[in-house]
Amino acid sequence: MSFIKFENVSFNYQHQKLLLSELELSIDSNSFTAVTGPNGSGKTTLGKLAMGILKPLSGKVLLEGRDISTMSLGKVGSKIGYLFQNPEVQIFANTVIDDLGFVMRIKNIEENEINKKIDTVLDFLNISDLRNSNTFNLSYGEKQRLAIAGILINEPQFLILDEPTTGLDIGRKKMLSALIEKLLAAGKGLMIISHDHKFINNFSGKVLKISGGKIYE
Amino acid sequence: MSKFSIEADIRSKLAVVLGFSTIAVFIQHIYVLSFILIISIAAALLFGANILKAIKTTRNLWYLFFIIVILQSIFSRSGQALLAINGFPLITAGGVLKGGEFLMRVSVIVFSATIISTSNSREVVQGLVQLKIPYDIAFMVSVAIRFLPLLRSEIKDTFTAIQLRGLDLKKIPLKRRIRVYLYIFNPVVAGAIRKARGLSIAMEMRAFRAYRKRTSFLKLRLSAADYFIMVFTLIFTSAVFVMFYYFNFPAGII
Ligand SMILES: Nc1ncnc2c1ncn2[C@@H]1O[C@H](COP(=O)(O)OP(=O)(O)OP(=O)(O)O)[C@@H](O)[C@H]1O
Ligand SMILES: [Mg+2]
Repeated sequence: MSFIKFENVSFNYQHQKLLLSELELSIDSNSFTAVTGPNGSGKTTLGKLAMGILKPLSGKVLLEGRDISTMSLGKVGSKIGYLFQNPEVQIFANTVIDDLGFVMRIKNIEENEINKKIDTVLDFLNISDLRNSNTFNLSYGEKQRLAIAGILINEPQFLILDEPTTGLDIGRKKMLSALIEKLLAAGKGLMIISHDHKFINNFSGKVLKISGGKIYE
Repeated sequence: MSKFSIEADIRSKLAVVLGFSTIAVFIQHIYVLSFILIISIAAALLFGANILKAIKTTRNLWYLFFIIVILQSIFSRSGQALLAINGFPLITAGGVLKGGEFLMRVSVIVFSATIISTSNSREVVQGLVQLKIPYDIAFMVSVAIRFLPLLRSEIKDTFTAIQLRGLDLKKIPLKRRIRVYLYIFNPVVAGAIRKARGLSIAMEMRAFRAYRKRTSFLKLRLSAADYFIMVFTLIFTSAVFVMFYYFNFPAGII
C-alpha cells in the first residue's frame, strides 16, 4: 500500500481556473520524490493537498489508505512533517528550547522526557549550540533548521519540504543535502518541492514535473 | 468582466465613505441606519466593489461583531423582556435594538469602505496627497493596504502550522487555548516587524524623504461626475442630519 495516494485529484482556488486536474500519484513511505515546475504551477498547492491543508475540488487524497480529509491536522502532522516555503510562519516561541518544547508542555508531558527529545533533535540537526538562542535573531538557514527540528520532534515517517534551498548559500545547501541523506538513511520518506535541479539531482528517486495542471514523471 | 460601474476619482469615493460613516456614527436610529445601510450597499455596487468578497475577507471581524452584539444585547437592558431567568430580564427589546444598531453601524462603515478598495493604492496615496495630507502618512496608509493580504496568508499558514505540531485547537480546553493563541501571536508579530524593517531599509536606500517636496507624475483630475458625486454626498448627508435633528424625522421608536 502506498503511503500517500492521489486519486483523480483536481483543485482550484476560489473563483479561479482549475490549477491541478485529475492527478494520480502514489508515493511510498521511505521513498524520495522531487517536485519541480515553474513559478505558480501549483507545487506548493500540491504539497498542501498532500497534507490535507487544502481540500481537493474532486477526487481523494489518501494517507496510509485513509481519506486525509477525515483526519485532523494534528494527526496528519504526526505522520508527515511539513516545512513551509517561509519557515518563519512555523516558529512560535522566543527561545529555541521553548519553541521545541511548548507543545509537549501544553500537553503536560514530563519535563525530563521533553528535554531528552529536544536534545536528540538538536543533536540530529547539529544545532545544539543554538539551544538557548533567541529565535527572532536567527539567520535564515538557522530558522529553517529550527523549523525542521520542530517537525522532527513529532517523529513523522515522512517529510515534505517546500523550496528548502531558497535563501541558503552553498555551504548551507551542502548541510541540507547531508541532512536529507541522513533522514533517508534513517528510513524516512521525503518529498522535496524545488526548482533547483542541481540540488535535486543529488538524490536518487522520482522526479515529478508539474506543468499546465498535469504531472509528468 | 464587463459589469457596469462608475469610474470616479478616489477623492469623491472618500467623500461618499466619509458622509455615510458620519451618518452611521452620529445618528443612532434604527430606521436611519437601515436606510443608510441599503444606500451604502447600493453605492458600493454602483462603484463596482465586490461586497461578497469583502464579507469573506473580513469574516473574522464579523465573528467579533456578533460577540459584541450579543454582549450588548445582554448588558443594555431596557424595554420589554424577551428572555427572563427567574424573573431577571436577560435579553430585552431595548438590548436587541442596541445590538442591531451596532451591527448596522459597522456594516455601513465596512460596506462603504469597500468603495475605496476599487481604486489602486497608488491612486489612494495621490488622492490623499492632493488633499494636502502629508506624503509620509499617505504612503503609510497605502503600505498598510498592500501588506494586509500577505500578512493574512502568513497568519493562515501559522494557524495551520501550529495544528500540524499536534495541537488540535478544537479539543484544547479554553484556559490552555489562550496560551496557544499567545504562541500564534509571536510569528505574526515577528513577521510584521520584519516586513516593516525590510521596507524601511528599502525606503532609505531609495532616498525616501531626502527632499522635502515630492513631485509626482500621476496627477488626479476631478471630472464633472466627481463634482456631482461630492456635491450630492454633501447635500444628502446634510439633509439626513437636518431632517433628524431639526425636523425630528423619523421620530423615536422607544
Ligand atoms: N490562497 C490562494 N488564493 C488564490 N490563489 C492562490 C492562493 N495561493 C496560490 N494561489 C495561486 O495559485 C497558483 C499556484 O500557486 P502555488 O503557490 O501552488 O505555486 P508554486 O508552484 O508553489 O509557485 P512558486 O514556485 O512561486 O512557489 C498561483 O498562480 C498563485 O497565484
Ligand atoms: Mg511554492
